[in-house]
Amino acid sequence: MAPTPPVRPVMSHSSAFLLPSPPSSSAAPDGDGDAYALLVLNQRLPRFAPLLWDRARVRVCADGGANRLFDDMPELLPGQDPDEVRRRYKPDVIKGDLDSIRPEVKEYYSNMGTQIVDESHDQDTTDLHKCITFVTEKLAIPNRSNLCILVLGALGGRFDHEMGNINVLHLFPTNRIILLSDDCLIFLLPRTHTHNIHIESIEGPHCGLIPIGAPSTTTTTTGLRWNLGKPPTSSIQYQQQLVLNLQILSPDDTSMSFGGLISTSNIVEEESVTINSDSDLIWTISLRHHS
Amino acid sequence: MLGRAIRSMDVMVHSSTFLLPKLHQPGHTPAKNYALVVLNQNLPRFMPRLWTHAKLRICADGGANRIFDEMFQLTNEQDYERVRNRYIPEIIEGDMDSIRPEVKRFYSSQGSQISDKSHNQETTDLHKCISRIHRSTSDHEKTNLCVLVTGALGGRFDHEAANINILYLFSDMRIVLLSDDCLIRLLPKTHKHDIYIESSVEGPHCGLFPVGAPSGSTTTTGLKWNLSEAKMRFGSMISTSNIVHAEKVTVQSDADLLWTISLRNLT
Repeated sequence: MAPTPPVRPVMSHSSAFLLPSPPSSSAAPDGDGDAYALLVLNQRLPRFAPLLWDRARVRVCADGGANRLFDDMPELLPGQDPDEVRRRYKPDVIKGDLDSIRPEVKEYYSNMGTQIVDESHDQDTTDLHKCITFVTEKLAIPNRSNLCILVLGALGGRFDHEMGNINVLHLFPTNRIILLSDDCLIFLLPRTHTHNIHIESIEGPHCGLIPIGAPSTTTTTTGLRWNLGKPPTSSIQYQQQLVLNLQILSPDDTSMSFGGLISTSNIVEEESVTINSDSDLIWTISLRHHS
Repeated sequence: MLGRAIRSMDVMVHSSTFLLPKLHQPGHTPAKNYALVVLNQNLPRFMPRLWTHAKLRICADGGANRIFDEMFQLTNEQDYERVRNRYIPEIIEGDMDSIRPEVKRFYSSQGSQISDKSHNQETTDLHKCISRIHRSTSDHEKTNLCVLVTGALGGRFDHEAANINILYLFSDMRIVLLSDDCLIRLLPKTHKHDIYIESSVEGPHCGLFPVGAPSGSTTTTGLKWNLSEAKMRFGSMISTSNIVHAEKVTVQSDADLLWTISLRNLT
Protein backbone atom coordinates (compact mmCIF):
# COMPACT_ATOMS: atom_id res chain seq x y z
CA MET A 1 0.00 0.00 0.00
CA ALA A 2 1.29 3.49 -0.81
CA PRO A 3 2.19 5.54 2.27
CA THR A 4 -0.33 8.22 3.21
CA PRO A 5 0.93 11.71 2.47
CA PRO A 6 1.57 13.82 5.59
CA VAL A 7 -1.55 15.50 6.89
CA ARG A 8 -1.53 19.28 6.57
CA PRO A 9 -2.96 21.21 9.48
CA VAL A 10 -5.77 23.60 8.65
CA MET A 11 -5.53 27.30 9.43
CA SER A 12 -8.86 29.14 9.54
CA HIS A 13 -9.15 32.84 8.90
CA SER A 14 -11.95 35.34 9.36
CA SER A 15 -12.26 39.11 9.36
CA ALA A 16 -15.18 39.12 11.78
CA PHE A 17 -13.32 41.76 13.80
CA LEU A 18 -14.33 44.27 11.11
CA LEU A 19 -18.05 43.65 11.58
CA PRO A 20 -20.00 46.41 13.33
CA SER A 21 -21.54 44.06 15.87
CA PRO A 22 -18.95 42.22 17.93
CA PRO A 23 -18.25 38.56 17.22
CA SER A 24 -20.01 36.54 19.92
CA SER A 25 -16.79 34.86 21.01
CA SER A 26 -15.35 38.11 22.31
CA ALA A 27 -18.14 38.49 24.87
CA ALA A 28 -16.35 36.30 27.41
CA PRO A 29 -13.11 38.00 28.54
CA ASP A 30 -11.22 34.76 28.94
CA GLY A 31 -13.23 32.89 26.37
CA ASP A 32 -12.00 30.82 23.50
CA GLY A 33 -12.44 33.58 20.97
CA ASP A 34 -9.68 35.54 19.35
CA ALA A 35 -7.84 38.17 21.36
CA TYR A 36 -6.82 41.21 19.31
CA ALA A 37 -3.79 43.41 19.61
CA LEU A 38 -3.84 46.64 17.61
CA LEU A 39 -0.66 48.21 16.28
CA VAL A 40 -0.71 51.72 14.82
CA LEU A 41 2.08 52.72 12.41
CA ASN A 42 2.79 56.16 10.99
CA GLN A 43 0.14 56.72 8.33
CA ARG A 44 -3.33 58.25 8.27
CA LEU A 45 -5.76 56.16 10.33
CA PRO A 46 -8.28 54.20 8.26
CA ARG A 47 -11.97 54.97 8.83
CA PHE A 48 -12.57 51.80 10.93
CA ALA A 49 -9.77 52.57 13.44
CA PRO A 50 -12.23 53.35 16.31
CA LEU A 51 -14.00 50.03 15.77
CA LEU A 52 -10.77 48.02 15.92
CA TRP A 53 -9.54 50.01 18.90
CA ASP A 54 -12.64 49.06 20.87
CA ARG A 55 -12.17 45.37 19.91
CA ALA A 56 -8.53 45.18 20.94
CA ARG A 57 -7.20 44.12 24.32
CA VAL A 58 -3.93 45.92 23.86
CA ARG A 59 -3.01 48.92 21.72
CA VAL A 60 0.52 49.85 20.73
CA CYS A 61 1.68 52.84 18.70
CA ALA A 62 4.90 52.49 16.76
CA ASP A 63 6.64 55.86 17.11
CA GLY A 64 4.88 58.32 14.74
CA GLY A 65 1.73 56.20 14.91
CA ALA A 66 1.11 58.12 18.14
CA ASN A 67 0.95 61.38 16.14
CA ARG A 68 -1.65 59.79 13.86
CA LEU A 69 -3.70 58.61 16.80
CA PHE A 70 -3.56 62.04 18.40
CA ASP A 71 -4.47 63.92 15.18
CA ASP A 72 -6.81 61.55 13.34
CA MET A 73 -8.95 59.82 15.99
CA PRO A 74 -10.95 62.98 16.85
CA GLU A 75 -11.57 63.47 13.11
CA LEU A 76 -12.96 59.95 12.81
CA LEU A 77 -15.38 60.67 15.65
CA PRO A 78 -16.59 64.13 14.66
CA GLY A 79 -19.61 64.24 16.95
CA GLN A 80 -17.48 63.94 20.07
CA ASP A 81 -15.29 66.32 22.04
CA PRO A 82 -11.68 65.96 20.75
CA ASP A 83 -10.11 66.02 24.21
CA GLU A 84 -12.50 63.36 25.41
CA VAL A 85 -11.66 61.23 22.34
CA ARG A 86 -7.93 61.55 22.98
CA ARG A 87 -8.35 60.58 26.62
CA ARG A 88 -10.41 57.55 25.71
CA TYR A 89 -8.20 56.38 22.85
CA LYS A 90 -4.96 56.25 24.77
CA PRO A 91 -2.39 53.61 23.76
CA ASP A 92 -1.00 51.15 26.30
CA VAL A 93 2.51 51.43 24.86
CA ILE A 94 4.41 53.66 22.45
CA LYS A 95 7.46 51.89 21.11
CA GLY A 96 10.17 52.32 18.52
CA ASP A 97 13.09 54.61 17.88
CA LEU A 98 10.98 57.67 18.75
CA ASP A 99 12.40 59.90 16.02
CA SER A 100 8.99 60.72 14.51
CA ILE A 101 6.73 61.21 17.54
CA ARG A 102 6.14 64.89 18.28
CA PRO A 103 7.40 65.97 21.73
CA GLU A 104 4.00 67.29 22.83
CA VAL A 105 2.29 64.05 21.76
CA LYS A 106 4.85 61.98 23.68
CA GLU A 107 4.34 64.13 26.74
CA TYR A 108 0.55 63.97 26.48
CA TYR A 109 0.38 60.19 26.42
CA SER A 110 3.18 59.78 28.94
CA ASN A 111 1.27 61.97 31.41
CA MET A 112 -1.77 59.78 30.88
CA GLY A 113 0.10 56.63 31.84
CA THR A 114 1.12 55.24 28.44
CA GLN A 115 4.35 53.25 28.68
CA ILE A 116 6.99 54.84 26.43
CA VAL A 117 9.65 52.37 25.32
CA ASP A 118 12.64 53.92 23.58
CA GLU A 119 14.39 51.46 21.28
CA SER A 120 16.54 53.83 19.29
CA HIS A 121 19.58 51.72 20.18
CA ASP A 122 18.21 48.92 18.01
CA GLN A 123 18.61 49.90 14.37
CA ASP A 124 18.48 46.33 13.06
CA THR A 125 14.74 45.82 13.14
CA THR A 126 11.82 47.88 11.90
CA ASP A 127 9.30 49.50 14.21
CA LEU A 128 6.71 46.90 13.26
CA HIS A 129 9.11 44.07 14.01
CA LYS A 130 9.80 45.54 17.46
CA CYS A 131 6.06 45.84 18.19
CA ILE A 132 5.33 42.28 17.09
CA THR A 133 8.13 40.94 19.27
CA PHE A 134 6.82 42.97 22.17
CA VAL A 135 3.24 41.79 21.77
CA THR A 136 4.13 38.14 21.31
CA GLU A 137 6.74 37.93 24.08
CA LYS A 138 5.92 40.38 26.79
CA LEU A 139 2.20 40.93 26.92
CA ALA A 140 0.19 38.81 29.29
CA ILE A 141 -2.47 37.58 26.94
CA PRO A 142 -4.13 34.35 27.98
CA ASN A 143 -4.23 31.65 25.33
CA ARG A 144 -1.72 33.16 22.96
CA SER A 145 -2.69 30.83 20.15
CA ASN A 146 -5.82 32.92 19.71
CA LEU A 147 -3.87 36.16 19.46
CA CYS A 148 -4.52 38.08 16.25
CA ILE A 149 -2.43 41.19 15.62
CA LEU A 150 -4.12 43.91 13.58
CA VAL A 151 -1.82 46.51 12.04
CA LEU A 152 -2.82 49.93 10.72
CA GLY A 153 -0.58 52.07 8.54
CA ALA A 154 1.71 49.31 7.23
CA LEU A 155 0.73 49.66 3.57
CA GLY A 156 1.31 52.57 1.19
CA GLY A 157 3.74 55.39 1.90
CA ARG A 158 7.44 54.66 1.50
CA PHE A 159 7.88 51.42 -0.43
CA ASP A 160 10.84 50.20 1.62
CA HIS A 161 8.70 50.48 4.75
CA GLU A 162 5.91 48.52 3.08
CA MET A 163 8.36 45.79 1.99
CA GLY A 164 9.84 45.67 5.48
CA ASN A 165 6.34 45.26 6.91
CA ILE A 166 5.51 42.47 4.47
CA ASN A 167 8.80 40.80 5.42
CA VAL A 168 7.64 40.86 9.06
CA LEU A 169 4.68 38.68 8.00
CA HIS A 170 7.19 36.18 6.56
CA LEU A 171 9.41 36.38 9.66
CA PHE A 172 6.49 35.50 11.97
CA PRO A 173 4.64 32.88 9.89
CA THR A 174 3.02 31.16 12.87
CA ASN A 175 1.51 34.39 14.21
CA ARG A 176 -1.72 35.81 12.86
CA ILE A 177 -0.82 39.29 11.67
CA ILE A 178 -3.15 41.28 9.42
CA LEU A 179 -2.15 44.51 7.67
CA LEU A 180 -5.12 46.80 7.02
CA SER A 181 -5.75 49.92 4.99
CA ASP A 182 -8.93 51.75 3.95
CA ASP A 183 -8.92 49.77 0.70
CA CYS A 184 -7.88 46.24 1.62
CA LEU A 185 -6.27 43.83 4.04
CA ILE A 186 -3.42 41.39 3.58
CA PHE A 187 -2.01 38.45 5.53
CA LEU A 188 0.39 35.59 5.00
CA LEU A 189 -0.75 32.06 4.08
CA PRO A 190 2.20 29.92 5.21
CA ARG A 191 2.89 26.97 2.93
CA THR A 192 2.82 24.58 5.88
CA HIS A 193 -0.98 24.76 6.15
CA THR A 194 -4.19 24.30 4.23
CA HIS A 195 -6.07 27.59 4.50
CA ASN A 196 -9.76 28.13 4.99
CA ILE A 197 -10.78 31.79 4.64
CA HIS A 198 -14.30 32.70 5.71
CA ILE A 199 -15.45 35.73 3.72
CA GLU A 200 -17.35 38.36 5.68
CA SER A 201 -19.91 40.81 4.31
CA ILE A 202 -17.57 43.80 4.76
CA GLU A 203 -14.91 42.43 2.47
CA GLY A 204 -14.56 41.54 -1.19
CA PRO A 205 -15.22 40.94 -3.91
CA HIS A 206 -11.75 41.75 -5.25
CA CYS A 207 -8.97 39.50 -4.05
CA GLY A 208 -5.56 38.15 -4.97
CA LEU A 209 -2.81 35.67 -4.15
CA ILE A 210 0.73 36.95 -4.43
CA PRO A 211 3.95 34.87 -4.23
CA ILE A 212 6.15 37.70 -2.97
CA GLY A 213 9.18 35.80 -1.77
CA ALA A 214 9.45 32.86 -4.08
CA PRO A 215 7.56 31.31 -6.99
CA SER A 216 4.86 28.76 -6.33
CA THR A 217 4.78 25.60 -8.43
CA THR A 218 1.59 24.14 -7.03
CA THR A 219 -1.32 26.21 -5.79
CA THR A 220 -4.90 25.01 -5.61
CA THR A 221 -7.89 27.09 -4.62
CA THR A 222 -11.66 26.86 -4.33
CA GLY A 223 -14.24 29.59 -3.93
CA LEU A 224 -12.76 32.09 -6.40
CA ARG A 225 -14.04 33.07 -9.81
CA TRP A 226 -10.71 32.06 -11.35
CA ASN A 227 -9.53 29.16 -9.26
CA LEU A 228 -5.99 27.86 -9.44
CA GLY A 229 -5.15 24.24 -9.89
CA LYS A 230 -6.96 21.32 -11.40
CA PRO A 231 -10.73 21.67 -11.25
CA PRO A 232 -12.34 18.96 -9.09
CA THR A 233 -13.68 15.96 -10.96
CA SER A 234 -16.54 16.07 -8.55
CA SER A 235 -17.22 18.56 -5.84
CA ILE A 236 -17.77 15.87 -3.22
CA GLN A 237 -14.53 14.10 -4.06
CA TYR A 238 -12.66 17.37 -3.79
CA GLN A 239 -14.25 18.28 -0.47
CA GLN A 240 -13.35 14.86 0.86
CA GLN A 241 -9.78 15.38 -0.20
CA LEU A 242 -9.64 18.70 1.60
CA VAL A 243 -11.17 17.27 4.73
CA LEU A 244 -8.51 14.56 4.77
CA ASN A 245 -5.87 17.28 4.18
CA LEU A 246 -4.19 15.30 1.48
CA GLN A 247 -1.71 17.25 -0.51
CA ILE A 248 -3.30 17.82 -3.88
CA LEU A 249 -0.69 17.36 -6.55
CA SER A 250 -1.61 17.54 -10.14
CA PRO A 251 0.23 18.35 -13.33
CA ASP A 252 -2.42 21.01 -14.01
CA ASP A 253 -1.83 22.93 -10.78
CA THR A 254 -1.09 26.48 -11.67
CA SER A 255 2.31 27.87 -10.92
CA MET A 256 2.62 31.52 -9.98
CA SER A 257 5.58 33.88 -10.09
CA PHE A 258 6.59 37.46 -10.70
CA GLY A 259 7.39 37.63 -14.36
CA GLY A 260 4.59 35.16 -14.94
CA LEU A 261 1.09 34.65 -13.58
CA ILE A 262 0.06 36.08 -10.24
CA SER A 263 -3.54 36.08 -9.11
CA THR A 264 -4.82 39.66 -8.98
CA SER A 265 -8.26 41.20 -9.62
CA ASN A 266 -9.73 37.83 -8.74
CA ILE A 267 -13.24 37.66 -7.27
CA VAL A 268 -14.51 35.74 -4.24
CA GLU A 269 -17.56 33.77 -5.26
CA GLU A 270 -18.30 31.67 -2.22
CA GLU A 271 -18.55 32.22 1.53
CA SER A 272 -15.41 30.22 2.04
CA VAL A 273 -12.19 30.19 0.07
CA THR A 274 -9.63 27.40 0.44
CA ILE A 275 -6.00 27.61 -0.56
CA ASN A 276 -3.23 25.02 -0.68
CA SER A 277 0.21 25.96 -1.92
CA ASP A 278 3.82 24.80 -1.92
CA SER A 279 4.92 28.39 -1.34
CA ASP A 280 4.14 31.14 1.18
CA LEU A 281 1.50 33.39 -0.38
CA ILE A 282 0.14 36.80 0.50
CA TRP A 283 -3.67 36.82 0.47
CA THR A 284 -5.35 40.16 -0.16
CA ILE A 285 -9.01 41.15 -0.25
CA SER A 286 -10.65 44.52 -0.81
CA LEU A 287 -12.71 46.14 1.92
CA ARG A 288 -16.16 47.48 1.13
CA HIS A 289 -16.72 51.14 1.72
CA HIS A 290 -19.73 51.93 3.87
CA SER A 291 -22.34 54.25 2.42
CA MET B 1 43.31 23.33 -19.71
CA LEU B 2 42.15 26.68 -20.90
CA GLY B 3 40.57 28.89 -18.30
CA ARG B 4 36.98 29.82 -18.99
CA ALA B 5 36.65 33.44 -20.02
CA ILE B 6 34.62 35.33 -17.45
CA ARG B 7 31.70 36.90 -19.23
CA SER B 8 31.55 40.58 -18.48
CA MET B 9 28.07 41.80 -17.85
CA ASP B 10 26.65 44.82 -19.54
CA VAL B 11 26.09 47.79 -17.30
CA MET B 12 22.67 49.41 -17.11
CA VAL B 13 22.79 53.05 -16.11
CA HIS B 14 19.93 54.68 -14.21
CA SER B 15 19.27 58.24 -13.24
CA SER B 16 16.27 60.26 -12.10
CA THR B 17 16.91 63.43 -14.07
CA PHE B 18 13.22 63.44 -15.01
CA LEU B 19 12.52 64.59 -11.44
CA LEU B 20 14.49 67.79 -11.97
CA PRO B 21 12.62 70.92 -13.02
CA LYS B 22 14.63 71.01 -16.24
CA LEU B 23 16.01 67.97 -17.99
CA HIS B 24 19.76 68.13 -18.30
CA GLN B 25 22.07 65.82 -20.12
CA PRO B 26 24.38 64.13 -17.62
CA GLY B 27 27.57 62.93 -19.31
CA HIS B 28 27.21 59.36 -18.14
CA THR B 29 23.80 58.61 -19.57
CA PRO B 30 22.53 58.63 -23.14
CA ALA B 31 19.63 60.94 -24.00
CA LYS B 32 16.33 59.63 -22.83
CA ASN B 33 12.87 59.97 -24.22
CA TYR B 34 10.11 59.83 -21.65
CA ALA B 35 6.63 58.42 -21.90
CA LEU B 36 4.18 59.07 -19.07
CA VAL B 37 1.36 56.74 -18.02
CA VAL B 38 -1.19 58.11 -15.56
CA LEU B 39 -3.20 55.63 -13.49
CA ASN B 40 -6.28 56.34 -11.39
CA GLN B 41 -4.93 57.64 -8.08
CA ASN B 42 -4.15 61.10 -6.69
CA LEU B 43 -1.55 62.80 -8.88
CA PRO B 44 1.86 63.26 -7.27
CA ARG B 45 2.85 66.87 -6.48
CA PHE B 46 5.52 66.94 -9.21
CA MET B 47 3.20 65.82 -12.03
CA PRO B 48 3.57 69.07 -14.04
CA ARG B 49 7.30 68.58 -14.54
CA LEU B 50 6.85 64.91 -15.57
CA TRP B 51 4.21 65.99 -18.08
CA THR B 52 6.53 68.59 -19.56
CA HIS B 53 9.46 66.15 -19.89
CA ALA B 54 7.38 63.42 -21.58
CA LYS B 55 6.93 63.18 -25.33
CA LEU B 56 3.98 60.84 -25.01
CA ARG B 57 1.31 61.01 -22.31
CA ILE B 58 -1.17 58.18 -21.88
CA CYS B 59 -3.99 58.18 -19.35
CA ALA B 60 -5.15 54.74 -18.29
CA ASP B 61 -8.93 55.09 -18.07
CA GLY B 62 -9.72 56.97 -14.81
CA GLY B 63 -6.24 58.52 -14.90
CA ALA B 64 -7.90 61.02 -17.27
CA ASN B 65 -10.27 62.08 -14.46
CA ARG B 66 -7.23 62.78 -12.29
CA ILE B 67 -5.59 65.05 -14.89
CA PHE B 68 -8.90 66.82 -15.50
CA ASP B 69 -9.60 67.37 -11.79
CA GLU B 70 -6.24 67.70 -10.09
CA MET B 71 -3.71 69.32 -12.42
CA PHE B 72 -4.82 72.86 -11.69
CA GLN B 73 -3.94 72.79 -7.99
CA LEU B 74 -0.47 71.46 -8.84
CA THR B 75 0.40 74.46 -11.00
CA ASN B 76 0.89 78.11 -10.11
CA GLU B 77 -1.64 79.15 -12.71
CA GLN B 78 -4.64 81.33 -12.02
CA ASP B 79 -6.62 80.38 -15.10
CA TYR B 80 -8.40 77.06 -14.63
CA GLU B 81 -9.38 76.66 -18.26
CA ARG B 82 -5.91 77.42 -19.54
CA VAL B 83 -4.48 74.65 -17.37
CA ARG B 84 -7.15 72.25 -18.51
CA ASN B 85 -6.45 73.03 -22.17
CA ARG B 86 -2.71 72.71 -21.73
CA TYR B 87 -2.57 69.22 -20.24
CA ILE B 88 -4.14 67.08 -22.95
CA PRO B 89 -3.01 63.42 -23.10
CA GLU B 90 -2.13 62.02 -26.51
CA ILE B 91 -3.94 58.77 -25.72
CA ILE B 92 -6.55 57.54 -23.27
CA GLU B 93 -6.47 53.77 -23.10
CA GLY B 94 -8.23 51.11 -21.10
CA ASP B 95 -11.59 49.54 -20.48
CA MET B 96 -13.27 52.93 -19.98
CA ASP B 97 -15.29 51.95 -16.95
CA SER B 98 -13.86 54.69 -14.71
CA ILE B 99 -13.45 57.71 -16.98
CA ARG B 100 -16.33 60.16 -16.60
CA PRO B 101 -18.34 60.81 -19.80
CA GLU B 102 -17.70 64.58 -19.73
CA VAL B 103 -13.96 64.01 -19.25
CA LYS B 104 -13.88 61.61 -22.21
CA ARG B 105 -15.83 64.08 -24.34
CA PHE B 106 -13.54 66.96 -23.43
CA TYR B 107 -10.29 65.18 -24.24
CA SER B 108 -11.73 63.64 -27.37
CA SER B 109 -12.75 67.09 -28.59
CA GLN B 110 -9.22 68.32 -27.84
CA GLY B 111 -7.61 65.65 -29.97
CA SER B 112 -6.82 62.81 -27.54
CA GLN B 113 -7.01 59.41 -29.13
CA ILE B 114 -9.54 57.32 -27.22
CA SER B 115 -8.46 53.68 -27.32
CA ASP B 116 -11.33 51.63 -25.96
CA LYS B 117 -10.13 48.19 -24.93
CA SER B 118 -13.19 47.15 -22.90
CA HIS B 119 -13.45 43.91 -24.88
CA ASN B 120 -10.17 42.84 -23.32
CA GLN B 121 -10.77 41.90 -19.72
CA GLU B 122 -7.66 39.74 -19.44
CA THR B 123 -5.18 42.49 -18.68
CA THR B 124 -5.04 45.51 -16.41
CA ASP B 125 -5.17 49.05 -17.75
CA LEU B 126 -1.45 49.50 -17.04
CA HIS B 127 -0.67 46.31 -18.93
CA LYS B 128 -2.60 47.63 -21.95
CA CYS B 129 -0.75 50.95 -21.87
CA ILE B 130 2.69 49.38 -21.51
CA SER B 131 1.86 46.81 -24.21
CA ARG B 132 0.96 49.59 -26.59
CA ILE B 133 4.23 51.41 -25.93
CA HIS B 134 6.15 48.13 -26.22
CA ARG B 135 4.54 47.30 -29.57
CA SER B 136 5.12 50.70 -31.09
CA THR B 137 8.75 51.06 -29.98
CA SER B 138 11.64 49.50 -31.86
CA ASP B 139 14.35 47.64 -29.92
CA HIS B 140 16.75 50.47 -30.55
CA GLU B 141 14.27 53.08 -29.37
CA LYS B 142 13.61 51.01 -26.24
CA THR B 143 17.16 51.57 -25.01
CA ASN B 144 16.55 55.32 -25.01
CA LEU B 145 13.00 55.21 -23.69
CA CYS B 146 11.98 55.48 -20.04
CA VAL B 147 8.32 55.02 -19.10
CA LEU B 148 7.21 56.95 -16.03
CA VAL B 149 4.09 55.67 -14.28
CA THR B 150 2.09 57.52 -11.64
CA GLY B 151 -0.67 56.05 -9.46
CA ALA B 152 0.62 52.47 -9.54
CA LEU B 153 1.39 52.22 -5.81
CA GLY B 154 -0.89 52.34 -2.79
CA GLY B 155 -4.61 51.70 -3.01
CA ARG B 156 -5.68 48.07 -3.49
CA PHE B 157 -2.78 45.73 -2.80
CA ASP B 158 -3.61 43.32 -5.63
CA HIS B 159 -3.48 46.26 -8.09
CA GLU B 160 -0.11 47.30 -6.68
CA ALA B 161 1.23 43.74 -7.03
CA ALA B 162 -0.06 43.51 -10.62
CA ASN B 163 1.59 46.85 -11.43
CA ILE B 164 4.89 45.70 -9.95
CA ASN B 165 4.59 42.51 -12.00
CA ILE B 166 4.48 44.70 -15.14
CA LEU B 167 8.11 45.64 -14.42
CA TYR B 168 8.99 41.91 -14.57
CA LEU B 169 6.78 41.11 -17.57
CA PHE B 170 8.31 43.95 -19.60
CA SER B 171 11.83 43.72 -18.22
CA ASP B 172 13.34 44.79 -21.56
CA MET B 173 11.86 48.26 -20.97
CA ARG B 174 12.83 50.91 -18.46
CA ILE B 175 9.74 51.56 -16.36
CA VAL B 176 9.68 53.66 -13.20
CA LEU B 177 6.73 53.60 -10.77
CA LEU B 178 6.36 56.90 -8.93
CA SER B 179 4.46 58.13 -5.90
CA ASP B 180 4.76 61.25 -3.75
CA ASP B 181 6.98 59.29 -1.38
CA CYS B 182 9.27 57.17 -3.54
CA LEU B 183 10.09 55.56 -6.86
CA ILE B 184 10.61 51.91 -7.79
CA ARG B 185 12.62 50.33 -10.61
CA LEU B 186 13.43 46.76 -11.54
CA LEU B 187 17.15 45.88 -11.64
CA PRO B 188 17.29 42.79 -13.91
CA LYS B 189 19.82 40.15 -12.92
CA THR B 190 21.17 40.14 -16.46
CA HIS B 191 23.00 43.42 -15.89
CA LYS B 192 25.23 45.23 -13.47
CA HIS B 193 23.60 48.46 -12.37
CA ASP B 194 24.95 51.97 -11.95
CA ILE B 195 22.38 54.16 -10.22
CA TYR B 196 23.25 57.86 -10.26
CA ILE B 197 21.62 59.68 -7.37
CA GLU B 198 20.11 63.12 -7.94
CA SER B 199 20.41 64.17 -4.32
CA SER B 200 18.47 67.39 -4.76
CA VAL B 201 15.32 65.39 -5.52
CA GLU B 202 15.79 61.86 -4.17
CA GLY B 203 17.12 60.00 -1.14
CA PRO B 204 18.45 59.33 1.33
CA HIS B 205 16.24 56.34 2.19
CA CYS B 206 16.51 53.38 -0.15
CA GLY B 207 16.08 49.63 -0.34
CA LEU B 208 16.61 46.48 -2.41
CA PHE B 209 14.05 43.68 -2.48
CA PRO B 210 14.19 40.19 -3.97
CA VAL B 211 10.50 40.23 -4.91
CA GLY B 212 9.55 37.07 -6.73
CA ALA B 213 12.61 34.98 -5.96
CA PRO B 214 15.42 34.97 -3.39
CA SER B 215 18.93 36.20 -4.11
CA GLY B 216 21.92 33.98 -3.36
CA SER B 217 24.43 36.74 -3.89
CA THR B 218 24.02 40.51 -4.06
CA THR B 219 26.83 43.05 -3.92
CA THR B 220 26.46 46.81 -3.65
CA THR B 221 28.56 49.94 -3.33
CA GLY B 222 27.48 53.44 -2.37
CA LEU B 223 25.10 52.52 0.45
CA LYS B 224 25.46 53.03 4.18
CA TRP B 225 24.97 49.31 4.71
CA ASN B 226 26.49 47.72 1.64
CA LEU B 227 25.91 44.10 0.74
CA SER B 228 28.79 41.82 -0.04
CA GLU B 229 27.70 38.63 -1.82
CA ALA B 230 24.79 38.69 0.59
CA LYS B 231 21.81 36.38 0.53
CA MET B 232 18.42 38.08 0.54
CA ARG B 233 15.02 36.49 0.92
CA PHE B 234 11.57 37.32 2.26
CA GLY B 235 11.44 35.53 5.58
CA SER B 236 15.05 36.43 6.17
CA MET B 237 17.12 39.50 5.33
CA ILE B 238 16.02 42.19 2.83
CA SER B 239 17.54 45.64 2.55
CA THR B 240 15.08 48.23 3.91
CA SER B 241 15.69 51.69 5.42
CA ASN B 242 19.14 51.76 3.84
CA ILE B 243 20.78 55.11 3.10
CA VAL B 244 22.52 56.31 -0.08
CA HIS B 245 26.02 57.42 0.80
CA ALA B 246 27.53 58.30 -2.56
CA GLU B 247 26.65 59.95 -5.86
CA LYS B 248 26.54 56.55 -7.48
CA VAL B 249 25.17 53.29 -6.15
CA THR B 250 26.14 50.04 -7.86
CA VAL B 251 24.23 46.78 -7.61
CA GLN B 252 25.06 43.33 -8.91
CA SER B 253 22.88 40.34 -8.13
CA ASP B 254 22.00 36.82 -9.19
CA ALA B 255 18.32 37.72 -8.80
CA ASP B 256 15.99 40.38 -10.19
CA LEU B 257 15.74 43.08 -7.53
CA LEU B 258 13.41 45.99 -6.94
CA TRP B 259 15.25 49.22 -6.15
CA THR B 260 13.43 51.95 -4.27
CA ILE B 261 14.50 55.40 -3.17
CA SER B 262 12.56 58.03 -1.25
CA LEU B 263 11.70 61.31 -2.92
CA ARG B 264 12.39 64.66 -1.34
CA ASN B 265 9.62 67.22 -1.07
CA LEU B 266 9.32 68.30 -4.69
CA THR B 267 7.05 71.22 -5.46
